[in-house]
Amino acid sequence: MSASPMSREINVAQLRTIDILKKIGSYILLVLASLIVLFPLFFSLSLATQGPTIAPNLLPDFGKLDFSVFGKVFEQEKNLGRWIVNSFVVSIAVTLGQLVTSSLAAYALATLQFPGKNIFFFIFLGTLMIPWEATIIPNYINVASWGWKDSYQGLVLPFVASGFGIFLLRQYFLTIPKELYEAAVIDGCGRTRYLWAILLPLSRPALATLAVYTFLSTWNQYYWPLLITDDPVWRTTQVGITAFRSSEIAVFNLQMAATLIVMLPTLILLILGQRQLVRGLTAGALKG
Amino acid sequence: MSITPDARQETPVSDPSSKSSAIAVQSPIESGATVTKNFSRRWQDLGMALLYMSPALVFFIVFTFVPFFRAIWLSFFVTDAKGETVRFNDIKYYSRILNLDGSGRSEYLKSILTSVQFTIMVVPLGIAVSVALALLATVKVKAIGIFRTIFTSSIAISIASAGVIWSLIYSPNLKLTQWILDLLNSKSTSILNDSATALAAVAFMSVWTGLGFNFIITLAGIQAIPQDLYESGLIDGANGWKAFRYLTLPLLTPTLLFLFIINTISSFQAFTQFNVLIGSEGPDSSTNVFVFSIFKSFWSDNRYGFASAMSVVLFVVLLFLTFVQFRLLDRRVHYS
Repeated sequence: MSASPMSREINVAQLRTIDILKKIGSYILLVLASLIVLFPLFFSLSLATQGPTIAPNLLPDFGKLDFSVFGKVFEQEKNLGRWIVNSFVVSIAVTLGQLVTSSLAAYALATLQFPGKNIFFFIFLGTLMIPWEATIIPNYINVASWGWKDSYQGLVLPFVASGFGIFLLRQYFLTIPKELYEAAVIDGCGRTRYLWAILLPLSRPALATLAVYTFLSTWNQYYWPLLITDDPVWRTTQVGITAFRSSEIAVFNLQMAATLIVMLPTLILLILGQRQLVRGLTAGALKG
Repeated sequence: MSITPDARQETPVSDPSSKSSAIAVQSPIESGATVTKNFSRRWQDLGMALLYMSPALVFFIVFTFVPFFRAIWLSFFVTDAKGETVRFNDIKYYSRILNLDGSGRSEYLKSILTSVQFTIMVVPLGIAVSVALALLATVKVKAIGIFRTIFTSSIAISIASAGVIWSLIYSPNLKLTQWILDLLNSKSTSILNDSATALAAVAFMSVWTGLGFNFIITLAGIQAIPQDLYESGLIDGANGWKAFRYLTLPLLTPTLLFLFIINTISSFQAFTQFNVLIGSEGPDSSTNVFVFSIFKSFWSDNRYGFASAMSVVLFVVLLFLTFVQFRLLDRRVHYS
């Protein structure tokens, strides 16, 4: 028995309704999941705008939101501005440093043919096997004995070379045809000039990935800056806000305002550089 | 601004043979002059390569390799307050940590066990939640990119910042906390001061901070599954739960294994959240994970030799996990 045209029309209409209902259901689930995921952020924003109360509510009184706290926190904690400057200086310096050291080393590993290449490859691979816990005590002893506590070089230099960065760039450099290098060399292009004028401009996506990833992870560092900064002036944002929290333990709105302020640069970076960041994070997971 | 992690895009072809084949093609009957030229060029390249690699090598030697071997060296010595070796101590520190010295004091083994406990609390829950979010984020609706950004957001939030926020979420001054405590039937007034809840509270917060990373990796894994598999699966009557159970889950297993190992390693290394949320060994030492225990020996007690021995033990544990990871990833390459 074939279905009549009439019932077929009903079926199409039914399917469409089901489709719309499914979409609405999806949106409800997505919004619910977003609310749960973002809860800590809403929570901190809510507490920040409630004024200096000892017993804050979950939701603020939307009639009288107090945004002045974001200015007040800079008066309350005179060093907050300096901490943000420190974090920017350190993160930018580490990022630039890693871009330079990684692209030079990756260029050698990916493009040049030289005896003992495998040995160097494994030396760099080895750095990925050594976790920071295994090196942090001697590093601390060294940096302290060099008088590098409370200094930019102490915060920056230990992180200027990165095995991850070298392998990320090496993988990318390998995708660029060898013939390009051969042709450039035959045309009299020096090795360094090839790297500078041809390879690096072609590798901008990988460099951007490394830059975003490095900036983010440096900005969010906690253990090392905690160890090597004694003077409050030299703290980075992460160490600063946790210390600020201990000093203002009962003043919730100031604590939350400071935390939100130091989160802002990385949140902006996530929104602007998300594509690059995702590429970097998935590079490790999905290669091969 | 939508996230489209494209696995194929990330597959650089590594072909070590291309160079040699290019040379081979050059001339089947190579003259002696070309051979010498190639030979000298390889040695020239060695010089250049050393030059290019030297900045990275210098930094690695100073800040990774030398400190690493020094840590191993220090672990066999009693040290003074400046970190100088005082006298040889044999393997006494190791037998103390692993409770092989017959003293019956097992607080360091217990600390390793606390790390294991923490890992068991964090890893399965974190992966399960990220699979759920990733499945949700694959529905084809408008503005899905915004939701994906939201699910990724915790990547940008440092563990220290998250620690400050969650310490207030867990703060006894909030009605929310009281409500949770009532729900858990707990008699104590603060989640973080109760040995029954403290570790779980830190674990829950860690699930949240790891969510963005786990979500992104899972989403990329799901998107790498060829769409036509689902279409042919649909013909065989596999939709909804069946498609997930018999198509998505088996094909996602390599990604989940990767996440499992990575998360296990990072849970073992967790320190920041413990220092910010608890800042001590915790109620009845219930949150004294191994890395925090190292920090205490190193930072509070200045026992550099002993702390070095602890960090070598941790290194061995992490190395083992890394090896497992490499083995599993090797298997994965054969899958695809």
